[in-house]
Amino acid sequence: MIGTRIRSVTAETLATEARALRDTGGRMQFAYAWSPNGDDIEVRYVAALPERKDFETWLLRAGNEVPSLAHIWPLLGWYEREMMDLSGIRFAGHPEPHPLVLREGAPSRGNGQDFLKHPPVDGGHHLPIIDAKDIQRLPFGPIRADVVESAEFTFFYVGEHILHYQPRLFFKHRGMETCFNGRLPSDAVVVAERVSGVGTVGHALAFCEAVERAARCDVPVRARALRVLLAELERLYNHLHYLGHLCSTTTLKVGEAQGKLLEERAKQLNARLTGSRFLRSMLAPGGLRRDLAPDKWLGEALEALRKEVIAYVDRLEASESYLDRLITTGPLPKRVAFDQGATGPVERASGLDRDLRRDHPYALYDELPVTVTTLEEGDAYARERVRIAEIEAAFDLCQRVLFRLEPGPIRTDCVAPPLSEGLGWSEGPRGSLFYAVHIGGDGTLARVKIKSPSFSNWRAFPLTVHDSNMMDYAINEASFGLTIAGCDR
Amino acid sequence: MTSGMLILSFVLWVAAALIASLRRWAVLGRALLAAGALSGVIAAIVGLPNPTSTAVLPLRLAGEAVAFRLEPEALWLFGFGLAPALFACALGSPSHYGRSGWSFGAAFSLLGALGVFGLQNGAALLVAWEAMSLGGAIMILSERLDSARGSTVLFMLALLEVGAVGLILAVAILGLGTSSLDFASFVGAAAALRSTTQIGVGLLVLVGFGAKLGLLPFYEWFPGAYGSGSGASGAILSGVVLNAAFFGMSRGLFEWLPPSPEGAFPLLAIIVVVVGTVSAILTILYAFQEDDWRRLLSFSSAENASIAVAALGAAMLFRSYGLRELAGLAWTVSLLHLAGHALAKGSLFLTADGLQRATGSYAITASGAGKYWLFGIGALLGAMSLSAMPPTAGFVSEWFVFQTVFQGFHLPNLAGRLVLALAGAGLALTAAIAFATFVKVFGIGVLGRDVNRNAPISRFYSGAVGFLGLAVLLLGVGMPVWLTALDVATARHFGAAVARQMYVGPLLVPLTAKFAFISPSLLIIVMPLLALVPVTLILVSGRYRVRRSPVWYGGLSPDPAGAATTALAFSNAMRTFYSFVYRPTAVTEREADAQGYFVRKLAFEHDVAPIFGPLLFQPAVRSINAIAGKLRLLQSGHLNFYLGLIGLLLVLVLGLTLA
Amino acid sequence: MALWTLFGLSSGKATTTWPAGDDADGQDGLLGMPRYNPQACDEGCRICAEVCPTHAIEAHDDKLSVDYGRCVICQLCTEACPTGAMTPSNDWAFGVRDREDLVWASGGAPTAAPGGTGKRAFFRSLHVRHVDAGSCNGCESELQALNNPFYNLHRLGIFFTPSPRFADLLLVTGPVTRPMFEPLLAAYQAMPEPRWVMAVGTCAVSGGIPGGNYACATGLEGILPVDLYLPGCPPNPAAIIDALLIFLDRAPQRVSGGRVRD
Repeated sequence: MIGTRIRSVTAETLATEARALRDTGGRMQFAYAWSPNGDDIEVRYVAALPERKDFETWLLRAGNEVPSLAHIWPLLGWYEREMMDLSGIRFAGHPEPHPLVLREGAPSRGNGQDFLKHPPVDGGHHLPIIDAKDIQRLPFGPIRADVVESAEFTFFYVGEHILHYQPRLFFKHRGMETCFNGRLPSDAVVVAERVSGVGTVGHALAFCEAVERAARCDVPVRARALRVLLAELERLYNHLHYLGHLCSTTTLKVGEAQGKLLEERAKQLNARLTGSRFLRSMLAPGGLRRDLAPDKWLGEALEALRKEVIAYVDRLEASESYLDRLITTGPLPKRVAFDQGATGPVERASGLDRDLRRDHPYALYDELPVTVTTLEEGDAYARERVRIAEIEAAFDLCQRVLFRLEPGPIRTDCVAPPLSEGLGWSEGPRGSLFYAVHIGGDGTLARVKIKSPSFSNWRAFPLTVHDSNMMDYAINEASFGLTIAGCDR
Repeated sequence: MTSGMLILSFVLWVAAALIASLRRWAVLGRALLAAGALSGVIAAIVGLPNPTSTAVLPLRLAGEAVAFRLEPEALWLFGFGLAPALFACALGSPSHYGRSGWSFGAAFSLLGALGVFGLQNGAALLVAWEAMSLGGAIMILSERLDSARGSTVLFMLALLEVGAVGLILAVAILGLGTSSLDFASFVGAAAALRSTTQIGVGLLVLVGFGAKLGLLPFYEWFPGAYGSGSGASGAILSGVVLNAAFFGMSRGLFEWLPPSPEGAFPLLAIIVVVVGTVSAILTILYAFQEDDWRRLLSFSSAENASIAVAALGAAMLFRSYGLRELAGLAWTVSLLHLAGHALAKGSLFLTADGLQRATGSYAITASGAGKYWLFGIGALLGAMSLSAMPPTAGFVSEWFVFQTVFQGFHLPNLAGRLVLALAGAGLALTAAIAFATFVKVFGIGVLGRDVNRNAPISRFYSGAVGFLGLAVLLLGVGMPVWLTALDVATARHFGAAVARQMYVGPLLVPLTAKFAFISPSLLIIVMPLLALVPVTLILVSGRYRVRRSPVWYGGLSPDPAGAATTALAFSNAMRTFYSFVYRPTAVTEREADAQGYFVRKLAFEHDVAPIFGPLLFQPAVRSINAIAGKLRLLQSGHLNFYLGLIGLLLVLVLGLTLA
Repeated sequence: MALWTLFGLSSGKATTTWPAGDDADGQDGLLGMPRYNPQACDEGCRICAEVCPTHAIEAHDDKLSVDYGRCVICQLCTEACPTGAMTPSNDWAFGVRDREDLVWASGGAPTAAPGGTGKRAFFRSLHVRHVDAGSCNGCESELQALNNPFYNLHRLGIFFTPSPRFADLLLVTGPVTRPMFEPLLAAYQAMPEPRWVMAVGTCAVSGGIPGGNYACATGLEGILPVDLYLPGCPPNPAAIIDALLIFLDRAPQRVSGGRVRD
């Protein structure tokens, strides 16, 4: 099974279908466009229906214009803009029809980017009309003060009060989706690993699952179990980094140092286990590229780390000044989180109970108990607590996997037939990750669509910053725990 | 000679008024006004330190002859007030409308001011006072710079009328005793009154002239009225008119009223000090929050006038305890303060006009005018003086004010010392906020990058502003020379030529060099010499190759004007800190789609709330409206009712005549 | 009430003394660049060149050249190699001054690594401005790890600054995407002289996986003059420290002609 059922829709029925989906409690996940034969363009909408473990894809053969669904599903606003930039489709009635991924005049395909002969000129950032003569404007970035990723943030503020905030991402757009084209799926997994450096396993896993579903092959049990182990190890070091970073923004210096030290221990553990601090070069379609021998040492090392993490988290929970800066900071209302498609710990902290590991199980998650913590407040403290609960659950899952690990094969043959397609997904540390893979006529990849969790969460984040204050901004941004590389691809 | 120049001023201004009423030859009218102002200044220069000779005017008011004489302090204030008026009249209002009306109003104001300074008759004073107020109103109304000018001018006139009523009562009470409205007899009349009545008259004088000076609660008409006019109107209103009002108050409180008797509590003096200090604090707080040149400068005028009033109160306090020399010091200080203020305020009001002609608005935004060096230096010196920076005149007068207040320990009783100590603290607060205010005005309004400027700054404005700024500097630097002009005045009031005791060579001292001293006269020589050090370093370091690279914003080069500090951003911290005074409001409106996710437009409005408007004036207006509503019964329209009323009146009249 | 200071003091020192002391560098078990042993190659076998995703291995008339500047350490070549000519190794300290030193071409003999150029003044105090020109965030994660208690870059006198105005060294990661081209040059222009540039990560050295497509350049070549190259995907913090010390002439360059000198 390829992971999703496919249905055809037309431009006329599109809006009705979208409303019906909303009314029956379904959720739109993402949308993308691709060109099967180079001329026609197909737009695909992927949705999740309640109580179903697979997804539903709507297929629309696009003519000149497609009606925009942004007023029914606001989260589609960015996907439609991305399609307008990269595929040239027009979406009629889009409330913000401005370039998102590419800058004005930048090409969406081709080669030979000779910047020196034709230096790119940066166009302006599209901002709302500001009817106030005394507001200050702070354009911050794209090179920001610290070792952080590049993005530009525009603040309209007066003193401490932020009136409007608009991030401008896609400075780091590398066109990673096109890097897959023409490669063999078994080799292209190294591309998927490098879309988001700290989300290696999540991306690779979703990609491999997509190819495996297209090839209809069954991954051996040991490989599935070790995949869970790797995914949870990745979740671990990412969440520990998150806690350290959050302490850094609340200027809890020793807390920051301890958090970063725990992250370093987790990464060194990864290196000792797999030869890569980021768990790279492990996954491949069909299983794993080589076997792991965690034996007894990993269980003990994880237990020692767990004790340190528990002590650290207890100390954080007892730091009133630290908690004071998190409670009621940057609240994300449940309705906004739903409308904007927030995902991962961000949506679970705002009351939306969704986790791909439990709702649409993959790897070995269908045989393991997945604890999903949901909170209602939606503030920075809730987002932190959800991640702390996930850390504890990750330790638990790792120990379970180690306990029930049996010797066995770790890879099967997995060749996706030409003109097949598959949908893969995984719940990464930041949220739901999707890969839609289309195999071309010669067996190489023809189109890969990556829906990363940060792409969804970056849309929701500005809505928590309007009317907040400057001192809380850094803490709020850290509490969301977003990457820009994952969003920009 | 002096009298001749004054008569010339009078004639020229009357001629200007006549020409203005013909609604033609506007330039000639302005030239006449300016010439009259010039002759007034010359009269002051020539006449000081002696008063003019008394002239009896060829008219009789209420059966009395009207005398005209300018005292030395009147000449001093008149001359300094006329300097900015000279340039304001020469340059005229930047408005395209009502040029003749403006000249007419200006002539009226100037004539009224001349009358307030010189007329020695109570009724004549009132006529001149009203003419002065009316002249200001005519100036603002003619300019048609603001569609809401009707209501703001009406508010101004209403409050000024409250003051006028106070003045009428004061003059009436003082004239009642001796049945004469001549000021010479007021002294004796006041001495004959009971002490409580004296205090009452003093309060009426305070209210009467304070309405024009901007003491609380009367300063609330300032932003509206000044903000509806132009900088030229403001220069006249804050220069000669303000000085005239202060002169009237000083004469009323010092000449008409005797000092409190020995041993009596100097209530009036303390009230004057307190009112002056609190007004200064409130007005400068509101000045700091303004983002319009005229409104900010108007509040600053009220603040400076309040400081002068506080100094006047200190003089009254010292006098009531027989400390005549300290009283003389305080009184002279108030005159110095207003002299420097007139010049500095005039230069800044003309700066505002010059910027308005170049940018089209009076808002305090970046205009890049700093590169016009004469304009910039003039505005800088004006701003420095108003924020009490050495070596300008404002620094001298502010320093003297503090030195006077610090010498409150000479007072024998605790109340007086406490009041002066607290006044010192309050004045220190106003000085700090004034400094911030003028950094904001100059830094943003003059030095900012030229984003909003469509046209160059006119040469004439550069000249006027530069001249007035340099005059401020000269006033401060040459103070030991100028102080001799007040010898006769201080001798007459305080028995000793106190002005002579305020300097020792190039040093300025508060009566004794052992207490403290400053010397702008020496500073002006030393500061450029000290500046040689950094200049030399810059020249010497020229041998290093310099590479200039753009400002670092994070990699992109946004429009720097968009990221610049705005007037609101500069004042916002104080707005939050003093929110119990300001009660600020900020309203954000977003225009977005139905769910609010795709924001198309954002509108932001911000404001601060006045104090006395909602506290005092609006309840008063409401109660008057309520009473008027009740009295509407009189307009019942029923014939029988009117007949009944007539009958009642007849009965009353019969009763009164028969009784 | 948590007493963090007490906790910090009682936790002792977590910092490694590497490279000055005997402590471990923290990279146990970490795989590095594949080691090439041309003797084990089969005649005419080009399997590793075909699987390499960044064309780091190229075949020129029966000889292979390996450009480590393009290696993303994906281990595809080591898995595909039938004879063991390409073997996984722990060589990750690949900082070099000249780009040619990263290329293993047969017939080339290891040359003596040249000394540094007049950076004596910065020996114990270097300020680095990092610019992310489109990396995948892996390099940033390793760079951020440099200031954790284990590596503690400050003990070596090397600091990250918030503004290029205070910086001596511009450290660039990422293949230089189109929108980051202008800001990167602006950062370089904003640095006062003397100033140097370091390319960290395979993307910055040669473009990496996305290099040369519609959105990316091929690293810093032709854009900025580079003084130190450090390939790796991503290079671990110990490798970055080693490269910085090589730059400051406090450590010897280990790689020349594509060969690791033991």
